[in-house]
Amino acid sequence: MIMITKIFLITVFSIGTIAFTGKGAAFAVSAEENYKFYCTQCHGSDGKGEGANSKPKVVGIDLPEMSVTPRNHTNPEDMNKLTDTDIESAISGGGAAVSKSTIMPPWGKTLTEAEIKDLTAYLRKLCKCKGK
Amino acid sequence: MNASNIGRWMLVLPVTALFIALSWGVSLADGKGIFASKNCGSCHQIQGPAAEKTFDDQLKKKGPELWYSGSKFKKEWLEEWLEKPTTIRPLKYNSVTDKNTDKHPALSKKEADEVAEYLMTLTAKEVAKGTAEEKVTPQGKNLFIKRYSCVGCHSIKAGAQKVGGVSGPDLSEAGKRLTADWVYAYLKEPKVFKPVKRMPVFVDIINDNEMKTLAGFVAAQK
Repeated sequence: MIMITKIFLITVFSIGTIAFTGKGAAFAVSAEENYKFYCTQCHGSDGKGEGANSKPKVVGIDLPEMSVTPRNHTNPEDMNKLTDTDIESAISGGGAAVSKSTIMPPWGKTLTEAEIKDLTAYLRKLCKCKGK
Repeated sequence: MNASNIGRWMLVLPVTALFIALSWGVSLADGKGIFASKNCGSCHQIQGPAAEKTFDDQLKKKGPELWYSGSKFKKEWLEEWLEKPTTIRPLKYNSVTDKNTDKHPALSKKEADEVAEYLMTLTAKEVAKGTAEEKVTPQGKNLFIKRYSCVGCHSIKAGAQKVGGVSGPDLSEAGKRLTADWVYAYLKEPKVFKPVKRMPVFVDIINDNEMKTLAGFVAAQK
């Protein structure tokens, strides 16, 4: 009986892990960690859209600003215009998936679906808004 | 050819072959020895395969891994760069906020040549030869700048000016440094080389032909 229970638990755990892992391979333990590792390159450490790629001069590098300003994730008016699905699509498929600039790359093969959902929830915390 | 001439050649040829083999071996051993004595391994991993599994694993690394440098780099560039290092990454390694002001140690000409020779022996089987052709094409430029916006993180030359982002390595002279074959392999199988990295995975997003075109475009930037 104990053996059967063990096998059952291992099976459930394995299926759960596979389902949760989805397309990408999770490296982070939280959405905040993912945000810091990936998103801050362009959106900045404070989420205001002023990362090093967006404004190289801010970090002392003499290169022109990015042609498109990355979204300010702390701006509730702006972020309220988006549904959670809009945000998830933009993260997964990049700007092109939501008729925006391709300078926002697709992260759907880097992050798992669960991570993208968690990141969306994290962005809602940054903007302190719920969206459409 | 008389018998004494044949005898002479039979002696000269093996001795020459032995001399060449020994010189190559000594040079290689020297390069490896210099790499060890300068403690290069404290920042650069020379043993593959990649083992990083988490952000922390990547963030602990102090410099780029070199275990596939013979597939990645062009030897002449390595020799020159090791003697007179320049900045490749605009931001410090693993940072997205701090300008790279690090000065990489410089080697003497002899040391640089020997270390380059050694590094060129470190290859990856995943990098096949002759996969992509170094070539600036309108298609490559379009893919790099518009379609996939690689330029968002990597700078390239645009006329006399340089444009692009700074979180990825500067690619304005990538063709002096990188082989097209490695760039293609890196796009195709990124997890082999850098399982944890800030660049998105483009597998199943950029198709195979586009990857080859992009690799050729990058490796033609000089």
